[in-house]
Amino acid sequence: MTVFRLTLGSRTGLVAAAALLLTACAPAQDAPTPTIGVDVSHYLAVGDSYTAGFSAGGLTRTGQEYSFPNLLAQQLRGATAGAAFTQPLLDAGTGSGYLELVDFTAAGFPRARRVAGTAVRSTVVNPGACGGTDTVRLLLRSATAGNLPQNLGVPGLPLSQIETLGLGNDARATAGAGFNPYFERLLPAATNTTYLQAVATAAASATFFTFFQGLDDLMPYVRSGGQCGAAPTAAFANQMKLNAKKILDVLTAGGRQGIIAKLPAITSLPLLRLGKGDKLETRLQAQFGDTANVYIESPFNPSQAQRISDKDYVLATALAHVGQLTPVVVNGTTRMLPYGRDSRNPLRDADVLDAQSELNLVNSAISNYNNSDGTVANVPLGLNALAQLYKLPVIDASQGFRTLDVDVSLFNQVANVISVGGVQYSAEPVRGNFFSLDYYTLTPRGNGLLANAFITAINKAYRSNIPAVDVNSLPTTK
Amino acid sequence: MRLRLLFLIPLCSGLTASAGGFDTGPQGARILGLGGASAAYINSIAGLSTNPGLLGQWGDSLTRLSFGGIGQIRRSSFVGQDTYQRTDQDLTIQPGGYFYATRGLGKRFSVGLALTTPYGYHTKWPGTWEGRSVVQESKLETYFVQPTVGIKLNDNFSAGVGFVYAFGKYTQRRALGQYDDPGAQVQYSGTGGGVGLNVGLFGRTGDNLAFGISYRSGVKLNLKNGTATAAGVPSHDAALYPASTRFSTEFNLPSTLSVGIADRITPKLLLTFDFALTGWSTLDSVAFALDASGGAPARRLTTARRYEDALAFRIGAEYQATPKLAVQGGLHYDETPIRDEYINPEFIDANRLGASAGLSYQLAAHLALEAAYAIDYGQLRTARAFPQAYRVANVSGAYRTVTHTAALGVALAF
Repeated sequence: MTVFRLTLGSRTGLVAAAALLLTACAPAQDAPTPTIGVDVSHYLAVGDSYTAGFSAGGLTRTGQEYSFPNLLAQQLRGATAGAAFTQPLLDAGTGSGYLELVDFTAAGFPRARRVAGTAVRSTVVNPGACGGTDTVRLLLRSATAGNLPQNLGVPGLPLSQIETLGLGNDARATAGAGFNPYFERLLPAATNTTYLQAVATAAASATFFTFFQGLDDLMPYVRSGGQCGAAPTAAFANQMKLNAKKILDVLTAGGRQGIIAKLPAITSLPLLRLGKGDKLETRLQAQFGDTANVYIESPFNPSQAQRISDKDYVLATALAHVGQLTPVVVNGTTRMLPYGRDSRNPLRDADVLDAQSELNLVNSAISNYNNSDGTVANVPLGLNALAQLYKLPVIDASQGFRTLDVDVSLFNQVANVISVGGVQYSAEPVRGNFFSLDYYTLTPRGNGLLANAFITAINKAYRSNIPAVDVNSLPTTK
Repeated sequence: MRLRLLFLIPLCSGLTASAGGFDTGPQGARILGLGGASAAYINSIAGLSTNPGLLGQWGDSLTRLSFGGIGQIRRSSFVGQDTYQRTDQDLTIQPGGYFYATRGLGKRFSVGLALTTPYGYHTKWPGTWEGRSVVQESKLETYFVQPTVGIKLNDNFSAGVGFVYAFGKYTQRRALGQYDDPGAQVQYSGTGGGVGLNVGLFGRTGDNLAFGISYRSGVKLNLKNGTATAAGVPSHDAALYPASTRFSTEFNLPSTLSVGIADRITPKLLLTFDFALTGWSTLDSVAFALDASGGAPARRLTTARRYEDALAFRIGAEYQATPKLAVQGGLHYDETPIRDEYINPEFIDANRLGASAGLSYQLAAHLALEAAYAIDYGQLRTARAFPQAYRVANVSGAYRTVTHTAALGVALAF
């Protein structure tokens, strides 16, 4: 039998060959290189609660780090090396305080409690505020106050206050005054700069913007069930549009490019959605094992009760009390009747956004603000028409829209449940992983999905190739 | 020295391979070297698993044994369509083996036994990859036991029939990505068996030309003894994912129709051609039936697979270089049963083109050493997941696969 003599060289070669084959390297694939078709070296984010990273009823450093502008900026950095994004970060800790989950009620609603904020330096309590005691928490000044950050999202800032002098001056921090502590911490002490002036100053050095503002104008009215805040009439919506135009004029000056996002439908927020009339009735009937209907105060005749319709919404903050026995005076005697489930103990107007006198106003205000196209004389242009005025590129080619419709691309889809990388996202608080415990702002993963919606819009409008965020790697709560 | 190895680089860069479904290839070193074109090949009793009709050709007084080990490495890379992140599967070696024995009984009959591991795969993704809630690890192992009877019909024709007893083991692990805990996962594992039939015919139409036809029926693998466990689930969802519950599933392993011819062109050179049709369309969906446990009701989790029938074309050549050394070479093309719309990271497959080589060395009069190696390349496959189809868990992206198979065994005749 012939014996093969192996030289040292060929022996090494055989071992190396075997090793190479055995390691069986994974087949090569090139990931696409991110490209961007617009200058994003200095990105400015303008907006309110969503833009700031407000989540679960408070602002914390973690929430700010997972704000959608910050997530968007991180993805843009792949295409534009060296582009920074400054935010007015709070110190690590509980920030302004926030809501955390305690447990679930028997009916499946989350119960939350407030965690105290470490960044709170003093509070101003207004016991006589419409809708109950209002607490304004003044926060420690941002470490970079004096230099305006690139994230100018201010929680709770309505468009009606963008020109309020002293909005950020804590001398005005008294009960009931127009004062915003989140804006105050961005500015040096005792400054009377208006928000519009701040945007103008910051925009001077910006090359790209996102604008997502307007919801906080409506939230006081919605959260109080129509009791507080200005009723969103057509005049109210017109004023919103005029104020938005003031900001957008500044942002788009000099041909600056950006993304304008329309407001989502108010009924897609769990604040309303969880208490949709017909579904609530069915759920309560299953929970209590009876066939009692849900009754609300008649919007035009408060002393009368009417059965809830599928277009009326009970506020999520009031849901836990529906069905509980409360004392009601009936024909002179006091009886314990289930709240909202007996026609003699209807849900108060403050707990309900009814379709005929309140929700209709909110819906038409949002639609007006988003879509008003200038065909009617003397009616200011809505966001869609403004985007066309500023010649922003088309985002939705099928409709020719130049604004990002967050309803179509995100909120509506989440309401109908979506699956991203094998994980389901829905509009249910906690389990849905999208909305946070305050029933309208988003969790870090929700902000990731919102950032991806903006990225898809940028990719379409500016012919770019920005990678999306891997949403499932973000925390579910902050 | 290093320069000479450069020819190996194309093996690892570029194309990936996928196989015709999750079959592990030819179950024998010599037929692996031939590229699997073995329906009419009688030089190795490993052909018993392909065509029981060959058994009649080994009906002389010798007892033949052939056994060995097979190792398969199938590795895929993935690039996310939206995230542009590249993930490579972890390296896994799917072990397998074969054992064949044949013996003649009288002038016309012969008996044989085949133990093989014809179906199986081991997919392992890194624990934190972007599709971890779709699948992290999935493994299937099957063992086929086939006692066979062969009949020599006349000098030229023989037929055979074998009964297939199949045993299978399946595990799957995926993360519950809706929770923050990286240890939140569900794991399914089950074992079970099934039966099937394998019939074949072999004929010699001339001194140099032979043909074989065989049909192996599908095997319904009933994995009845299974457990589904969940870990890392927050207490408020304990009813949704019970810690442990019984689960059962079944896999419809496909039928195979093989047709082949063998042509001895010169006294030293044998060419074989094979064509096989595998009936993968019986694997329509994978359903996990979970028993009720704790607060959770009995449930049925179904994932559509919609496999389609697949063809394979194989060419092999064997050259008797010296009286002791025979070398084999082969080429094959295997279609994939996986449709474009149902690409799922649990098992990646594509139409594959493969090449193989082997040798058989006669160490002694009745002992031969056999070795073979095959490499398969497949095409790029792109999966598209639709978020609004929320019941379907999947990720969008492009997959490339390479498969390496090696076998080493001995053949005895005494």
